Amino acid sequence: MVWVTLKKAAKYLFRRPYTRMVPKSEPPFKTDHTRGRHILDLNKCTGCSLCKMVCPANAIDMEHIEVEEGKYPQNKKKIFPRIDLHKCTYCGLCVEYCPFSALSMTDVTGFELFTTDKSTTLKHPQELAVPPESKYRVTITKAMFLGVLQNPQVKPAGKGGSHG
Amino acid sequence: MAGESVSKSLMLYFGPQHPGAPGNVAYKLWLDGERVIDAELVPGFLLRGFEMMMENRAWEMNIVIGYRFCVEDPDSLELGYAEAVDRLLKYDIPEKAKWVRMIQHEFGRIASHLFWANHMSGSVGLRTTGFWSIAAREEVLKWFYKVVGHRIYHSFSVPGGIRWDVPKDFKELTLKTADKIEELVKDIEAALLKNSVFKARTKGVGVIKGEDAIKLGITGPSLRAAGVSYDIRKAVPYENYDKVKFDIPTGENGDSYDRAVVRFKEIHQSLRIIRQAVEEVKPGDPWRIKLPLTVPPGTGIARVEAARGEYMIHVVSQGGRKPYRVRLRSVSLPLMTTAIKHVIKNEEVTIADFPVILGSLDPCAPDIDR
Repeated sequence: MVWVTLKKAAKYLFRRPYTRMVPKSEPPFKTDHTRGRHILDLNKCTGCSLCKMVCPANAIDMEHIEVEEGKYPQNKKKIFPRIDLHKCTYCGLCVEYCPFSALSMTDVTGFELFTTDKSTTLKHPQELAVPPESKYRVTITKAMFLGVLQNPQVKPAGKGGSHG
Repeated sequence: MAGESVSKSLMLYFGPQHPGAPGNVAYKLWLDGERVIDAELVPGFLLRGFEMMMENRAWEMNIVIGYRFCVEDPDSLELGYAEAVDRLLKYDIPEKAKWVRMIQHEFGRIASHLFWANHMSGSVGLRTTGFWSIAAREEVLKWFYKVVGHRIYHSFSVPGGIRWDVPKDFKELTLKTADKIEELVKDIEAALLKNSVFKARTKGVGVIKGEDAIKLGITGPSLRAAGVSYDIRKAVPYENYDKVKFDIPTGENGDSYDRAVVRFKEIHQSLRIIRQAVEEVKPGDPWRIKLPLTVPPGTGIARVEAARGEYMIHVVSQGGRKPYRVRLRSVSLPLMTTAIKHVIKNEEVTIADFPVILGSLDPCAPDIDR
């Protein structure tokens, strides 16, 4: 009978809707592992370009920046990643494969990154180094991947050792 | 294809923008009055060459591409790729990773079935239950957002295990989500399956009998609805599926109604698996082995029981940083071509029935355009 459907529907008639009125009455839904805009630590980046190589969306380029002499001695060529957030899929592989923990991710995502000006989606190294304007948390860090616990009985096959 | 009698009839283009079309595919329908005489699939709207893309990228980068074959059920493909590379590398991944992968796989199946419930109830004109199933799916997506950090595409199951440790409140979170979903799904089931309109539209429509289904290459819930009790999770167990208890729900008639019933029963079985698996996830256990820099030559084959049926992922390595070949066995191609043709040949299908039959088979458009 159709009555079954109507009976069940009556139950849901007075329930709070699942739709969230963001940002009018509620803040956006964020969690401890939300993958959003990156943060770059210029003091740690050596310009090794691993993040560029591992990016599946080709969103990362290396850019030379002009700095005062003696600044960032670890980065001889003075090249730092420049991330196009328009292309980025927020997979976090760049954070995972950065050998010096220079890149990490924040929970600034979704509508906070919306813009009418496409040119602002391209974040230069200096812009990436500055934390986002709004309230943010650092969510994805290299430390999460460093906590990898190797199973002692299993040795990885192949010539190359593990890298991390 | 179009015979002499067919050529005189009207040709109707169905899709890709049609709300009844299962994603980005079109059909050429030959009509005689209201009756569909022949249907021809027009694929290619989503062609990106995923397999070729994967062959041009390094193994770890493919984690992010490997699941984009199917938008609605990415977790099965994610698991399939990770499993295939594990077998190629002869890895025995940590137990904790296996259990978490299984939970992710089952939640992915639930999300996919709930999305199907929306599509199915829409195609019979019962939009109300569709909204409820999207609400129930929202609970799954919230779980993913908390554990994995993304809603739709997760990139969490990787070769060697899982990407990062699960949160501290993983067990409570998972059980709470499972309870919420169960409550909603019971209501959707009652409202949709007992509805007389739904019964009238689906019973005896789109019948595919057991032996025909095997011959046509159909797998998954559509095969089980035809009475064939075949599930890769039982037949060739992967991960830890041999250590959990669950049943394979089967139908009798193989019509659209049975396929709907089987899918709802599968959601309950998935919840049962999740509740068993979450007990085995212990904090502090190892959860990953790192990939080596270069992968030795060899092949790896993984078969996974996805929400729609059997995916087989075959990876071939000739050494080095990139795969030599990646091949995917598509679930949806037999559903969209041979199965639908078989139904049209054997019974009187009207235009109104066509989206219902197609919806009950639940094909996924992108995986034929790989």
